[in-house]
Amino acid sequence: MKAKKVISLTMAAAMAMTLGIIPEKVAHAEGEEQTLNVAVVETAYGAQMWHDVCDAFEKANPGVTINLTIDKKMEDIIMPAMKAGDYPDVIMRAVGAATALPETFIKDNNVVDLTDVLSMTVPGEEVTVGEKILPGFVDNSITNPYGDGQTYLMPMFYAPCGLFYNAALLEEKGWEVPETWDQMWELGDKAKEEGISLFTYPHAGYFDAFFYAMLHESMGTEMFQKALRYEEGIWDTPEATKVFDIITKLTTYTEPTTPGNANDNDFQKNQQLILDNKALFMPNGNWVIGEMAEAPRAEGFEWGFTALPALEEGGERASYTFFEQTWMPKGAVNQDLGKQFIAYLYSDEAADIFATVGNAVQPIKGMSDKLDGDAKLYYSVYDTGAVAVMDAFATTDPVEGITVRTTFFDPVDSLVTGDKTEEEWVEQIKKDSDELRAALKE
Amino acid sequence: MKNSNKGQIKESSKVAKVVIYVILIFLAITIIVPVFWVFMASIKENQEFYRSPWALPAGVHLQNFADAWEKASMGSYMLNSVIVTVIAIALLIVIALPAAYVLARFKFKSSKFWNVLFMAGLFINVNYIVVPIFLMLNNADIFMRKVFGGPFFLNNLFILAVVYASTALPFTIYLLSGYFKSLAKDYEEAAYVDGAGYFRTMVQVIMPMAKPSIVTIILFNFLSFWNEYIISMTLLVKPELKTLPVGLMNLMAAQRAAVQYGQMYAGLVIVMLPTLLLYICVQKKLTQGMTLGGLKG
Amino acid sequence: MKQRKGRGRFIFLCLAPAAILFIIFMIIPTIDVFRMSLFKWGGYTADKTFVGLQNFVKLFKSDKFYQAFQNSVLLIVLVTIITFSLSLVFAAILSREKIKGQGFFRVIFYIPNILSVVVISAIFSAIYDPTQGLLNSILNLFRGGENPILWLGDRKIVIYSIIIAMVWQAIGYYMVMYMASMANVPESLYESASLEGAGRIKQFFSITLPLIWTNIRTTLTFFIISTINMSFLFVRAMTNGGPDNASSVFLSYMYQEAYTNSSYGYGMAIGAVVFIFSFALAGVLNAVTKRDEIEF
Repeated sequence: MKAKKVISLTMAAAMAMTLGIIPEKVAHAEGEEQTLNVAVVETAYGAQMWHDVCDAFEKANPGVTINLTIDKKMEDIIMPAMKAGDYPDVIMRAVGAATALPETFIKDNNVVDLTDVLSMTVPGEEVTVGEKILPGFVDNSITNPYGDGQTYLMPMFYAPCGLFYNAALLEEKGWEVPETWDQMWELGDKAKEEGISLFTYPHAGYFDAFFYAMLHESMGTEMFQKALRYEEGIWDTPEATKVFDIITKLTTYTEPTTPGNANDNDFQKNQQLILDNKALFMPNGNWVIGEMAEAPRAEGFEWGFTALPALEEGGERASYTFFEQTWMPKGAVNQDLGKQFIAYLYSDEAADIFATVGNAVQPIKGMSDKLDGDAKLYYSVYDTGAVAVMDAFATTDPVEGITVRTTFFDPVDSLVTGDKTEEEWVEQIKKDSDELRAALKE
Repeated sequence: MKNSNKGQIKESSKVAKVVIYVILIFLAITIIVPVFWVFMASIKENQEFYRSPWALPAGVHLQNFADAWEKASMGSYMLNSVIVTVIAIALLIVIALPAAYVLARFKFKSSKFWNVLFMAGLFINVNYIVVPIFLMLNNADIFMRKVFGGPFFLNNLFILAVVYASTALPFTIYLLSGYFKSLAKDYEEAAYVDGAGYFRTMVQVIMPMAKPSIVTIILFNFLSFWNEYIISMTLLVKPELKTLPVGLMNLMAAQRAAVQYGQMYAGLVIVMLPTLLLYICVQKKLTQGMTLGGLKG
Repeated sequence: MKQRKGRGRFIFLCLAPAAILFIIFMIIPTIDVFRMSLFKWGGYTADKTFVGLQNFVKLFKSDKFYQAFQNSVLLIVLVTIITFSLSLVFAAILSREKIKGQGFFRVIFYIPNILSVVVISAIFSAIYDPTQGLLNSILNLFRGGENPILWLGDRKIVIYSIIIAMVWQAIGYYMVMYMASMANVPESLYESASLEGAGRIKQFFSITLPLIWTNIRTTLTFFIISTINMSFLFVRAMTNGGPDNASSVFLSYMYQEAYTNSSYGYGMAIGAVVFIFSFALAGVLNAVTKRDEIEF
């Protein structure tokens, strides 16, 4: 037994040596050899397009090796190393996800100022990055989180968000796509008679895009910006009240089982309600089409997409634009190469790879003209007069116990089930806004 | 009640028996059906998952298993899991057995202190100490890099096994020492009289008696190591070193991307099968191990 | 026993490896948790600010923490009581009654305990589905399909849905434990009680229960520890704290704050509170349930 113990211990030790670790790749700067660490979250667009773009960049820049980490749970992979002070050079992860990766870096003042990338010439082209990017995409509160006129996050693949529906169903019933909320309610009553609910939502998190677009419709740009900075008294204004009223009214038109599946596991069951003609509209983005590609659907089903209805006849109609962002943590070692790589992402070459391999659309001029088929429908929403909204609540220092999601959007579940009233919801928003405002970044 | 001859009681006890059977069978069904359901789901095609979850599979779609094994690398993750689990359990037994024995059967100056300390360890939850552990190992790695030119502690299956074994110590020692306490002193006295030393007494007299308890702790710890993902996810960053449950997480719903349900359920079955098999092999010993006093005191 | 040569060395050699690993990987990290609870730290970067007890002050002012606290206590109490009584009764039936297929039931009842939480949450997601779920399909036979019950979507119900899943998972484990200790009760006690005319129920209360009391006390501690831990795993897999925070528990709230709200220090303050709370609760229970040991 003693001998056995010794053997097992030596074996264990030997295992430890062999299992050990694959020797570390060290970024060595001798000559032209350089390694760029890029971490990307894998979304509905898939991983292939990133591999292809990285290959293309390596080809164009001899001596450069890109070490690409792409995973659906990218944070889990890079977080441990980052806690240890070992950061990727370039990260693509948008604000608004539950893991709040960029938010944390922004809150800690730990993102690299990328304003100079805008004036860099796109590799292999004549124009600068700034000239290529669509207007509005680099001067919003997401890309300029500190409101100091500097760009810290670079906009990537954009996707219009709005209401998705079954176009074939509406046509069959002879229903018009509502252009105002009043028409919406009328349609809701008509649909109810046929046993169809007006509305459903995947889960409460999907109200972010919806809420921002509604606020913009009601408030206009200037006041909207104030709301995003939680300005005092803003939630008591008639404009804000209108938005709260509409969302509350909408919850009474919501398919009643929706909250039962409104969690990360089961949210696709709510999306299925649209495919099964059990509900008419849901807030979503164009990724939903790929997400539900294999799901069974009502006969003749055809995706329809519209901007949010206007508050009144002839009023503004808004569509929130969701876009991903690339950025660099201050701990990045190869900052110059990283910036070159980011600039390259806006080249026609890269944009074409993204578009053809992954159906991902870069926010650069002329890109949406190249699209065809289904995709055209979504990206042309702005050509038909809808206003693109692309801001988010201002970044604050961390406020313990308060997140935008739990304060603003999660209570929608309770509104549907009747466990909370509109007053309680708004009260909570006002109370938490006071604390968030106090923690705003200067 | 077999001595009772009163007809009435016999009647009512018959009714009681029927009720008992109904309840037992009902509970058994609530367990068998869902487990069976997972197996059924694993052979469904992807489209079927959008229909009623209780519909029977349209056919046997074994491709799910091939996909999970190959494409989702569950095969290589399985190997990692086996390595970690085996090393961790081996370490745990080698370390916990003597400690539990000494704590249960020897009185020494600090024995009370250690007993209480290990008891307190039962209340420590890995969910909040995982990051401190990570940071500690990472600092050690920074030191290793400086001195030996390469990291050692993170991304190391062996170290993960050590951490597993360490975090399982309080519970294991608790179980084992409960068992050791229930033994009569005579065993050791007799061995000492025969001239056996402490070490030989422990190895040759006490350990063999503890076999059923050892089987019990092997099963308990196998279950927890095999299904563990939070520590594993944090300490093993390299994709090729993932363990099964972490690999499984990747198959699960990620938002804004289509889910491969068939593969996911096949993955679930791949994770579940070894535990089921081990359990069926040792289930007899399991009750026995506890019977021998595993949890007394 | 007379002190023999080498005793001290033997004790040291046996205890040292366990003690060293335990201190390195459990005690020190736990102390670190307490230390970090005094800092404001985002979690990724180097900026740490010492804030004293501020995290705790905020914690005790937070509605969300009380919600999580309330849910955790409710879970601990109900899961313990239900699981405890059911598993005890089943154990008594399976060990004292002549039941056909006894071994079969024992084996089957333990199975939920060996499944990973991911499997269990997939199972219950299929059971709780509002329209196609097993539970509502059965209930619809009695109450019609109107207003389906939202097992995971109704604030008032969701926590009980989680309780059902947890009880389902835990019964077998405790049942096997109680069966094990019941097997230690000498048969002669039952025989003599039986001769005196004591019925089964009386036998259960006057013989079985007192004789396995030590074991029961032990499991009470296990209930506290495992409910806190398991409720987190269940909630994370089934609802992620939703709808609208209604099912958040201690550790899910800790996770939310430490990993998604850039409030790592605050999260660790929650961890510290949970540790102290569970320790104290176990101590209180232990003192309350103290009886004189019954030897047999």
